[in-house]
Amino acid sequence: MWKKVTTVAATSLLTLSLVACSSQNDTPKKTSSTYPEKNITIVAPSGAGGGWDLTARAISKTMSETKLIDKSITVENKPGGGGAVYMADFATKEVKNDYALLVKSPPILINHNKAEGNSPYGYKDTKPLAQLTRDYGAIVVKADSKFKTLKDVLEAIKADPKAVTLAGGSAPGSMDHLIGVLPAHKYGIDPKTVKYVSYDGGGEAIAALLGGNADVIATDASAIGSYMKSGDVRVLAVSSSERLGGELTEVPTFKEEGIDAEFTIWRGLFGPKDMSDSAFNYWNEKLKKMVETDEWKAELTKNGWESEYRNSKDFTTYLEEQDKVIVELLTALGMQK
Amino acid sequence: MNTLQFLADGFSIAFQWQNILFALVGVIIGTAVGVLPGIGPMSGVALLIPVTATITSGMPTDAAAASSIILLAGVYYGAMYGGSTTSILLNTPGESASVVTTLDGYQMAKQGRAGAALAIAAIGSFVAGIISLIGLVLLAEPLSNIAIKFGPAEYFSLMLLGLAAVSGLAGKSMTKALLMTTLGLMLGTIGIDAVSGIARFTYNQPVLFSGLEFLTIAVGLFALGEVFKTVLERDHEDGTIAKINRILPTKQDMKDSTVPIVRGSLLGFFIGVLPGAGATLASFFSYMTEKKFSKNPDSFGKGNIAGVAGPESANNAASGGAMIPLLTLGIPGSGTTAILMGALIMYNIQPGPLLFDEHPDIAWGLIASMFIGNLMLLVLNMPLVRVFAKVIQTPKKYLLPIIIAISFFGVYAVQYTTFDLYLLLGCGVLGYLLSKNDFPVAPLVLALVLGPMIENNMRRALTISNGEFSIFFTKPLSLLFIIIAAAWLLIPLLLKMKGKSVVIEDES
Repeated sequence: MWKKVTTVAATSLLTLSLVACSSQNDTPKKTSSTYPEKNITIVAPSGAGGGWDLTARAISKTMSETKLIDKSITVENKPGGGGAVYMADFATKEVKNDYALLVKSPPILINHNKAEGNSPYGYKDTKPLAQLTRDYGAIVVKADSKFKTLKDVLEAIKADPKAVTLAGGSAPGSMDHLIGVLPAHKYGIDPKTVKYVSYDGGGEAIAALLGGNADVIATDASAIGSYMKSGDVRVLAVSSSERLGGELTEVPTFKEEGIDAEFTIWRGLFGPKDMSDSAFNYWNEKLKKMVETDEWKAELTKNGWESEYRNSKDFTTYLEEQDKVIVELLTALGMQK
Repeated sequence: MNTLQFLADGFSIAFQWQNILFALVGVIIGTAVGVLPGIGPMSGVALLIPVTATITSGMPTDAAAASSIILLAGVYYGAMYGGSTTSILLNTPGESASVVTTLDGYQMAKQGRAGAALAIAAIGSFVAGIISLIGLVLLAEPLSNIAIKFGPAEYFSLMLLGLAAVSGLAGKSMTKALLMTTLGLMLGTIGIDAVSGIARFTYNQPVLFSGLEFLTIAVGLFALGEVFKTVLERDHEDGTIAKINRILPTKQDMKDSTVPIVRGSLLGFFIGVLPGAGATLASFFSYMTEKKFSKNPDSFGKGNIAGVAGPESANNAASGGAMIPLLTLGIPGSGTTAILMGALIMYNIQPGPLLFDEHPDIAWGLIASMFIGNLMLLVLNMPLVRVFAKVIQTPKKYLLPIIIAISFFGVYAVQYTTFDLYLLLGCGVLGYLLSKNDFPVAPLVLALVLGPMIENNMRRALTISNGEFSIFFTKPLSLLFIIIAAAWLLIPLLLKMKGKSVVIEDES
């Protein structure tokens, strides 16, 4: 009896694993128009709850709700190195895999241009598919913090850089760090003296702030709205050129606080560098349709993102421009490659 | 929402048909794993991770993680039930936590009381399971509320404590255990550093960028290592299996067991909560306690039912208690919980204080499923104990190929790289060589899982303190953890110098 059971169990396990294996092997390079033949994975190269993760999940959800794409889209989180860890995989292992897509934002440029912990792979090692949203950085403290304004924080850092702990969800030199030190730099503080503690994703950084293990954090403006609503945190300033809507209407911009700086967080979807033409065209068309749907607009409102769509061609041009902006910024901060 | 409400929600998750099925499959496999000498809970759980990952791949992440962890945890505590069967019937423990059960269990079997011994083991395990779950329910919320205040310094010290405890107890030689811990920490540094993004020890090989996959290492070291061992050493342990006559214990048996069961459960639970002290230690302690409290200690080792009831309750309670540091602090206290944690991280669920806030469905679903699972185990183990006793006789020629096949297909299904297959094979050989030479493997796996977390938290703590190492000693909780960590290493050493042997091989 037991023998039979084990034999059956083993056989079914083998079959299962074989199915799993074979479905992976018949990868790309078929230029037939049957794409997609199987489920698609969008990777958010960070922990759950951050901007990349939410974007990937919003795409997956909208595509399935609107039935634009029949095959299911799975979101995978691959945290580490502010996106650099998975970027290395994406640019090497997955370079021909039409079924692996990546959500990224300025760090794809920053990580490739910064001096410390430089990532050898940049946006040129991918095929940009579309820019989808725009977001901004925010400087946030706990609700009962002694810091009432951005100036308070900057004065405290200026007086004693060792006394203030800044935290963020990305690696040193990457986006959250930049957003945090940008106002400091403009205020005449040497960015290198600012104490920055990096966590794995915005969620962990917020936990550190709430647990009293960080004095101030730099994070995405869109991610902080719900915490502000619940009264746990106070947002001191945002990096946009004009005031934002929603929960953050009361929050001043850097400029209003007398800091001449702004920082835009664009988010977009990338394919592998050697993506087949059929897959590339497929995504271009589907994404263009997706941004027009009400479901997508609802996702934007829900997450506090602003809509900004650029198709693959415009997005690539935009990336070239942004790359120069980032290099300039890093150079000013003394953090360039 | 209060705890009861959360628990009710948890039950609504655990009662979904697929989760009931997952729990059932988990506890059945767990019992089999416990019964089969050679496969411990650690290799059992490691082997099943890729299998559950494949089965749940179509589900949404959270639901998939909940279902998987329900199954894997079922294997863990199911093995605690199953382990007693071989101890009692064959005088060979099915897993290390049931070693002491052989002392009185096998004697009882020789006296024709095998059924009673098995029944008491099952009842004791059930009572212990329920007691430890109640403890888990009561402590989970308050503990995770305290844990959210933990800063990097506290986490660093607590994880150090976990490592010290496992190294201090595992295997025959602490030197060897510490060597294994260090090896694990070193292997954990391979890959792109998660803080700075700098590649370390990757030699520009893309397969190494994301580091060595813990699953491959665990399956290789434990499951394949065991296969090689069995093949190469050909140990024919075909002892005679004692007959099972009457399954229900007598009234006298029940009366004699009640107190040991309750005592074993409480003792086991609290030992289980301590990071590093696993089910094996709990069963030893319980046996010693029962002997001390007994009116006629001489009857121990000659078939005293308290010598079965106490330890069997204790090891099961400990496995429930061990879920507490895992779920609330995100710190695995033992090899098996390290593997469970690895499974959660694969689904991007980070165990820890935020787990109960961010994924209450997973945390409470798991807890609720453990109530159901324990009930299933009681039902399974009482009437079906004869069927499970048959499992012992599974010929190696069928068992080994199955383990090899699941190992390779499983690892490939999750990783999709041939590199991991070579790594798996290498780890299998390494696992055999290590255990042949008495190098314990559990510290290596625990260090591999904890290493990157220890490192990140240490760096965060040092940034906060402006590079002052004193931060680990000036924060009271952190200091406490470090003192306990030192004690875990020093006390066994002192005992050894005094001539007492403290050999505990913990595979749980």
